Amino acid sequence: MAEEIRAEMVANVWKVVVSDGDTVADGDTLVILESMKMEIPVIAEADGAVTIKVNEGDVVQEGDLIAVIE
Amino acid sequence: MTITPAAVDETAVDYRDPLVRLRALFDQGTLRTLTGQDDSGVVGARGEIDGTKVIAFATDATKMGGAMGIEGCRHVVDAIDIAVRERVPVIGLWHSGGARLAEGVTALDGVGQVFAAMVRASGRVPQISVVLGPAAGGAAYGPALTDIVIMGAEGRIFVTGPEVVRSVTGEQVDMERLGGPEPHGRRSGVVHITTKDDDSALAEARKVAKLLGAQGRLSPADVAEERDLAASMPPEASRAYDVKPVVKALLDEPGVELHNKWSPNIVTTLGRFAGRTVGVIANNPLRLGGCLDASSAEKAARFVRMCDSLGVPLIVLVDVPGYLPGLGQEWDGVVRRGAKLLHAFAEAVVPRVTLVTRKAYGGAYIAMNSRSLGATAVFAWPNAEIAVMGASAAVNILHRKKLAASPAEEREALRANLIEQQLHEAGGVQRALEIGVVDDIIKPTETRKRIAEALANAPAARGAHGNIPL
Repeated sequence: MAEEIRAEMVANVWKVVVSDGDTVADGDTLVILESMKMEIPVIAEADGAVTIKVNEGDVVQEGDLIAVIE
Repeated sequence: MTITPAAVDETAVDYRDPLVRLRALFDQGTLRTLTGQDDSGVVGARGEIDGTKVIAFATDATKMGGAMGIEGCRHVVDAIDIAVRERVPVIGLWHSGGARLAEGVTALDGVGQVFAAMVRASGRVPQISVVLGPAAGGAAYGPALTDIVIMGAEGRIFVTGPEVVRSVTGEQVDMERLGGPEPHGRRSGVVHITTKDDDSALAEARKVAKLLGAQGRLSPADVAEERDLAASMPPEASRAYDVKPVVKALLDEPGVELHNKWSPNIVTTLGRFAGRTVGVIANNPLRLGGCLDASSAEKAARFVRMCDSLGVPLIVLVDVPGYLPGLGQEWDGVVRRGAKLLHAFAEAVVPRVTLVTRKAYGGAYIAMNSRSLGATAVFAWPNAEIAVMGASAAVNILHRKKLAASPAEEREALRANLIEQQLHEAGGVQRALEIGVVDDIIKPTETRKRIAEALANAPAARGAHGNIPL
């Protein structure tokens, strides 16, 4: 089942750490957001192949899709 | 070929049998029932947990799905009243469809008496609920009124079951999605601890009962040895990290985290520190940058009030960039719900020590057990920053015109200079020390010892109030 990872808060996408199709494990950092002067890692919550839905420099709103893990 | 039905083992015990469940909760051989053999659907009992006396009751799911009538409700009330008289924890094991329909309003009256008994006991003895099966209607609000709710994998809590939901609104939903461990552990905050099975649910109840029922004595000598609490933290102040290893390093042994999936930007853990039970509250920068928001303030406020009412001292680990800004938060009641945390700390009389590890900004600084709210002691690590806002944000506001007027190539150097100046004048921990909102700057390695001494020097006290499920 696909696991959707969504933004918990409004933030800038500072760094995309993994590439589309990479195999990731639960706990891996996928993307680093910047908000409230903090670098906030977005963590995988499942194992699988990842598709990243954002680009560096994007602004995400709460609830926006960041990545999908299949 | 004939198919023969599997042999039914007549001696097999029904796992739903309340006596089976109570035996699994207590130390072996310590169970004594308080109620006779009857059809009430509730068994009350006394027993021990690692030698600590407790009272417990269990609904009997083998009789009418555990539905509660007036007689069963009286057993629950008696159990709670005995626990209050003897000043011991009371544990409820729930698996019940709610009030007995056949008894009508008499059953409702009984369920109401159970609620009233729970509220009378609130803040006087620890009340723990373990939900092992469906707990519906009245049986849902019973656990919800208690201090800590633990849910096994088969546990379900809802006011109205899937069939009623379907007939009234047409919404199709199953019991698990309506009121299982996932929705209540992550979304609603009804459940404090979810477990993979019944045995672990009972094991967690034993741990919590022991922490709250046998709190132990503080022995600062036990934590004199140096331990670097900053070992798992990144050197850069802007980098997020998980605060849980820091909480683990603070405590003598791993504690019990409450609400670990709900509002994870604040961590609330019961555990042993220098031999005594304490409550730890810590911002978690890994989630939402560690910001306070409406639901995390409410979560922490309830934890503070529970600990205060049960006489459990508090340790507050602060690393907070502020309150989460935005429309969603304002509409969610961040002002009303955030005020609960201010109220809870300012009201608390238990010893409560604050440690600012990296930063504390703005209103969130005040809310995290600041000196002004009556903290027993406030410590800070050497590089901590306490300010109305971060130095760089403050410079951008205070010196906007100056920065705009400067030549572009010199702007960044000027900005860095102004940030340095701002840190010195308004932010650095030195200034907080001078004005007395921080008592001392301490090293991460001596943190355990200093917190233990500060807690030990404060008079033991206990808030005279109940623990309303905020």
